[in-house]
Amino acid sequence: MTGLPAFYLAAARQSVIQRFSYRASNYLFMAGMLAEPVIYLIVWSTVARAQGGSVGGYTPGSLAAYYIVWTLVRNMNVVYAPAGFEHRIATGRMSGRLLLPLHPIHYDLAGFGGAKVVWIAQWVPVAAVLVLVFRPEFHFTVVGVLVFLVAIWGAFVIRSLFLWLIGLVTFWTTRASALFELYLVLELLLSGRLVPITLLPQWMQNAAAWFPFEWTFGFPIDAVVTPRSPSVLLTGLGVQALWVGIGSLLLAVVWRRAVRRYTGVGA
Amino acid sequence: MKLALLYLRVQLLNELQYRANFLLRLVHSVLALGSGLVALALVFGQVNRLDGWDSHQLLVLMGVYTMLNGVVQMLVMPNALQLLVEIEEGTLDLVLLKPVDAQLAVSLRATQVWQGLDILTGAGTVVVGLVLAGGVRPAAVPAFLIALVCGGVLVYSFLMSLTISAFWFVKLDNIGELFGGIFQAARWPVGIYPGWLRIGLTFLVPVGVAVTVPAEVLTGKPSGFGLLALAVLAAAALAVTRVLWRRGLRHYSGASA
Amino acid sequence: MTPAIEAVGLTRSFTVTERDAGLRSAFGGLFHRPTRTVHAVRDVNLRIEPGEVVGFLGANGAGKTTTLKLLAGLLHPSDGTVQVLGHRPARREPAYLRRMALVMGNRYQLQWDLPAVDSYELNRTIYQIPRDQFRRTRDELVELLELGDLVRKPVRTLSLGERMKAELVGSLLHQPEVLFLDEPTLGLDVVMQRRIRTFVADYNRSRGATVLLTSHYMADIEALCRRVVVIHRGRILYDGELSRLGERFTAHREIEVTPADPAVDLSPYGDCRPCGDGRSRIRVPADEAPSVMAKLLAEVQVTDLTVAAPPIEDVIEQIFASNAEVLP
Repeated sequence: MTGLPAFYLAAARQSVIQRFSYRASNYLFMAGMLAEPVIYLIVWSTVARAQGGSVGGYTPGSLAAYYIVWTLVRNMNVVYAPAGFEHRIATGRMSGRLLLPLHPIHYDLAGFGGAKVVWIAQWVPVAAVLVLVFRPEFHFTVVGVLVFLVAIWGAFVIRSLFLWLIGLVTFWTTRASALFELYLVLELLLSGRLVPITLLPQWMQNAAAWFPFEWTFGFPIDAVVTPRSPSVLLTGLGVQALWVGIGSLLLAVVWRRAVRRYTGVGA
Repeated sequence: MKLALLYLRVQLLNELQYRANFLLRLVHSVLALGSGLVALALVFGQVNRLDGWDSHQLLVLMGVYTMLNGVVQMLVMPNALQLLVEIEEGTLDLVLLKPVDAQLAVSLRATQVWQGLDILTGAGTVVVGLVLAGGVRPAAVPAFLIALVCGGVLVYSFLMSLTISAFWFVKLDNIGELFGGIFQAARWPVGIYPGWLRIGLTFLVPVGVAVTVPAEVLTGKPSGFGLLALAVLAAAALAVTRVLWRRGLRHYSGASA
Repeated sequence: MTPAIEAVGLTRSFTVTERDAGLRSAFGGLFHRPTRTVHAVRDVNLRIEPGEVVGFLGANGAGKTTTLKLLAGLLHPSDGTVQVLGHRPARREPAYLRRMALVMGNRYQLQWDLPAVDSYELNRTIYQIPRDQFRRTRDELVELLELGDLVRKPVRTLSLGERMKAELVGSLLHQPEVLFLDEPTLGLDVVMQRRIRTFVADYNRSRGATVLLTSHYMADIEALCRRVVVIHRGRILYDGELSRLGERFTAHREIEVTPADPAVDLSPYGDCRPCGDGRSRIRVPADEAPSVMAKLLAEVQVTDLTVAAPPIEDVIEQIFASNAEVLP
């Protein structure tokens, strides 16, 4: 087997082995990451109880479910950061990558994708503990679970594409980090990370429809937490595919410009 | 005199270089505050009170949180990280040989002044919250300042103690991120957390009380924990830190001898 | 025979923002930055046949790395054309990339935390090399460079020289027809430098690959290249045989003599400089060298005497100093 699939297999396998050797620090990272969803869960459960048992269609039980699944989706959202571009350019690795007959993004997709396998495996016991502590109420359906399993990878790809786009800005200015911060803030509010989307005021929900954020976060979570009809779930996958398409198109266009700039300025 | 002018010139040139950094820091501070405000707005879109706090009081709380965060980012964290590096690399000796109290030195030298921007934005938020709430009792202000200092001392002691444990354990790489995550819990009044978490945020990782109590004092809310208790806790924490520091130094010098 | 590399009127200029020292321009820098054009490479014409080993020589900033990058495809020209193996390198067509390799000294493409073999495996899939061929090539290269089990250790644990060797293996797995080397022996010790030189020479001989090399070290150029291109201020100053370079530009010879009596005055014979251990160097015009030598031997008691052309470095220095603009 040669070509792209062979590359992905080889790179992903190497990434799994490498990530596995970092097991201990993985758990530490996950532990630190838990603070955020637990805080949100407690705040919104308090609000739900004050409202007489539910808020925005979520009970404390389904909120617990929401934020527990949140931890997995949050992990799936960790992709190659824009800051890495500066490092790559400075060390000369970007030049080397440009002279390989392979688009550099495949390195990152394969590498992070492989690592995700290890993350998921390590997440399972953590989730089990959380389930015991917070007594969540899931809503499992066959279609929902299947859609969930696909959607988390869709989320990974979408976020990889868009963060790569932000990283490409580094070819023009070193201030890509400012753009990234703006992206993160918008994403925090409009993706379902801070709160489930239905808890946002209507105007924010409308705004969210223009961004890919809710499809990388809220959508996968809701697939196993809130009752959704199969057609809605499958349409959601379609929208994810649409965003993958948009991301890829934008990336192709900007990448061309970025390389043109790089080969015009040198490094 | 000429030397002083020259020095000033160099400083100014330096500052202009970091103009962009300053702007970035400002943008970051505003964004962080903004998302906090949005979270508050979302909560109060649903309820009128959260655990007995109304929106203006919570605004004050958020301001206090931002101020304390500013102190942490400016004063506590950079010094702690620097200390960590030096323990790991064994270069702490240089500080220990100076004719200054070593603990004081390691606590202050790596201060990053411009990170203190959050203190200003936080203070602004506090003022806005107070204005919206209808003002503040004059007596509350000095009490608030004392509480704030105690809170700062508490957080400092906690982080310092954690860092000092590196004398024995050495490998503490992720401390910055770990702490950052847990510190977020202090954005909300410590009372909303269920029993065991509340105790943890009071005694174990005292960030909860460090923010909640000053806010309570300023807004005139009856405080569950109380200013006195906070002050006692802060003093105790400081003492414990001092003891740990002494012990740690002895262990360190013994190790490198 | 179609050339492997052909460049016509190759030019590359950069716009650089100006920044003087001083407070006023620092303030001014907040609003408007004056710019200046730097002509890194100017009107370069080159024709390199397959299998040649060509060295690029030049002072720092002369434009040799820029030229190399233009030829490899990392930079696109401001003006002029360049063709490598029939492709326009800046297009970075996969068909072209599969036939070339660029290795830069002190810059690494191997994955840092993984053993080199893992990076080699990735390269295998990237270049779509059939497994058997890959294994053979890899083992051959590893043996030639005497790496042995080092390829199984994480790259970051290797020494500088070992890393460079591992890099070379990785870059040659797909058996490129054109090899660009930018300061490949930078920072390596003498033994390692020699090892790599021998390897590159062998590779060129056995595979017939075209090799382009830039180096600071004259020893690299002398050991590997029959043909040398001297670049100065972005232009080609000399393009021809290395052996002729000295001849072309030197009008002097250096006679190194150790007189029996160290106090004897040698200045009547020519421009004389002592060089320690009782030796002296006398610089004389080339055509006078034989007669001066004869006189010296006749008139002075001499323990040792050698005559040589001045080292290439001195020649180059002299060329740059005189700013000659000559081509053979």
